[in-house]
Amino acid sequence: MRISDISRLAWDQVKRRKVVTGLCMAGISIGCAAIIVALSIGESAKSYSEKQLNQSFKMDEITVTANGGIPSHGGEGGGGGATPEASDKLDPGKLTRQKLDIIQGLKHVNAAAPFQELGYIQMLTMDNRIADVQVIGTDLRLLTKYDKTFLQGGGSDLPRMAVLNYGATLGLIDDETNQKMLEGFRNDPYNVQLREQYDSLSVLPSQMYQQQFQLQQFKDYSNPASKILQSAPLRVIGILNKASGADDLMESYNKIIYVSLETAHQLVEELSMTNGTVGQEGVYNSAIVKVDSTDNIVQVEKLIQKLTLTTSTNLYQLEQLADEFNMVKKVALGVGVFILIIASISIIVAMTMSTHQRRRQIGIMKVLGANMGQIRNMFITEAALLGMMGGMLGVLISYLIVFGINKLIGTAAGPVPGDGIIINIPIMTIPIGIAFAVMTGVFSGIYPAISASRTNALTAIKRD
Amino acid sequence: MLRVENITHSFKNGSESTPVLHDINFTVNPGEMVALLGSSGSGKSTLLNLMAGLMKPMEGDIYIADHSIVKMSENKLSEFRRKHIGFIFQAYELITSLTVRENVELPLVFQSVSPSIRKQKSLSLLEKVGILDKADLFPSQLSGGQQQRVSIARSLITEPSVIFADEPTGNLDSKTEEEIIGILLELNKTMNTTFIIVTHETDVAEQMQRIFALRDGYLVSEKGSLVGMEPKGGISIEN
Repeated sequence: MRISDISRLAWDQVKRRKVVTGLCMAGISIGCAAIIVALSIGESAKSYSEKQLNQSFKMDEITVTANGGIPSHGGEGGGGGATPEASDKLDPGKLTRQKLDIIQGLKHVNAAAPFQELGYIQMLTMDNRIADVQVIGTDLRLLTKYDKTFLQGGGSDLPRMAVLNYGATLGLIDDETNQKMLEGFRNDPYNVQLREQYDSLSVLPSQMYQQQFQLQQFKDYSNPASKILQSAPLRVIGILNKASGADDLMESYNKIIYVSLETAHQLVEELSMTNGTVGQEGVYNSAIVKVDSTDNIVQVEKLIQKLTLTTSTNLYQLEQLADEFNMVKKVALGVGVFILIIASISIIVAMTMSTHQRRRQIGIMKVLGANMGQIRNMFITEAALLGMMGGMLGVLISYLIVFGINKLIGTAAGPVPGDGIIINIPIMTIPIGIAFAVMTGVFSGIYPAISASRTNALTAIKRD
Repeated sequence: MLRVENITHSFKNGSESTPVLHDINFTVNPGEMVALLGSSGSGKSTLLNLMAGLMKPMEGDIYIADHSIVKMSENKLSEFRRKHIGFIFQAYELITSLTVRENVELPLVFQSVSPSIRKQKSLSLLEKVGILDKADLFPSQLSGGQQQRVSIARSLITEPSVIFADEPTGNLDSKTEEEIIGILLELNKTMNTTFIIVTHETDVAEQMQRIFALRDGYLVSEKGSLVGMEPKGGISIEN
């Protein structure tokens, strides 16, 4: 029997038996929609959380630091016992330019750049406004490789140039106002008005692009006579965009100035900084490795560790999240499958009833030469068709449900800064949902199909 | 063509056994048109069902085109029926969801014959039975006589060795009955198809080439021809 004939005969029955078709489709479509919506919510929530995590913790980055051989302060001694002069370029424990070059050459590594932390110092603008900032020495041209985008300007390897993150352009206030504020807090820590005033000043933006500034040591207020070391002026050649989803207040707590490694070296000398390896040429205290995918983090991390370097990632956050969402998905999938089982039972009942109603027709077909397999196939095809139609209806229903949920979320959340959670139906869940529906149809159709194929032709065509 | 050998059959109801056929023997030659005549309960329908392979006899054997159908498995029998046996039912038994042409084509569908050949054959047969213009209608749009013509066309489409007709005119008025019998006789003549027609009507049976009469499960008479019949075993047909 040709597939086209089996399908046509099955389709005829599906069209003809509207009540059975409607009942079966209703059951399957609800089950299918439940599965699609469950998977979609799970996937959307997971990807939203991953995105949020990635923004906050940079899941696709590995922070590489020197191993035990490098002292945390000062340029000599330490567990490894090697002096800078004695160490070779691949000295165990040290994070050297050569090691970074090797890391850069590893498969799946998009970028490997030193992020030499100079620590927190004070930024002083030309009009005497100050802010506490973190200074990091790196290759300014590689900043874009680390998901950073420029609001103004760009990176350069010229000395005495700096790139400011968005937070570093906020809350620059003069020293006198700063002192008054701090004193006010000391006297009245719970002064709401003062807090509001401080917060509004904290997010006050300054036009820093192409401006000059200096870096200086923190003032020792206990010793007013002490001399404050100041760096030579630096020029702002780029301002970074604020992090996605972050507001100005959040940004104001995170002020970073990026300078070239050469400039970092100069700053260490100008400000007499003694911070680990910052004074050593070609040796760094920290580097960040950007990997093409979070899936390859572990593999790359293991290779880096072979260079006797210490690594840290935020992957555990992702694993924790994955565990939580796997559980959510399992529960949701379980609900969907449960509904499909109920739908399956309704199909078995409806199709068995249909089989009994069509006993005479089955009998005639058998008398006309249809064998058991052909009868069985017709019924299974009919059940599969019901499943497929139910599945397609389920897809439609799932889109309506997701549309409704998104509307609800939108109404409940109001205007959310950044990217709010939006449930999307991943394309892959549609064939999965329909496949589940067809499978339910087929499995549910097996019993009625076997029962139909075993119909005794003579008994079926006999008239009372 | 058809050989019925020592067929004995009874129906069991618990421990009770009701004999319905007793040692039936006869042969039907290719191209013959035979009536199986008998009153209600005489066993004629049971015999038809046995010959069509819808039931297995308790004793004896049945051969169609030299194949014993008694020993065949159900699937083998389905395949055999598909190729060698045609059916005409008293109540036509058309599939209401299919058009006239689709109903006629149905036995070929089970043989996986291509749609173009099926269409060609079905239209040709519908023309033969005089309802070509009704090909695209549904059975419910036809009269009883027209439905029976569809049933006849359907039985012929596989060019079977033998066609069993169970009271083919039982649901029809006398005028339509004449038309249908006329069609069957014509088809027998032109296509040389073997027909075995079960009937309780003597006037229908008398139009056949031979008559096998049954009474209480016994084959009581065999009529060789309509004119000058010589009852075998000296027993006449009784109604």
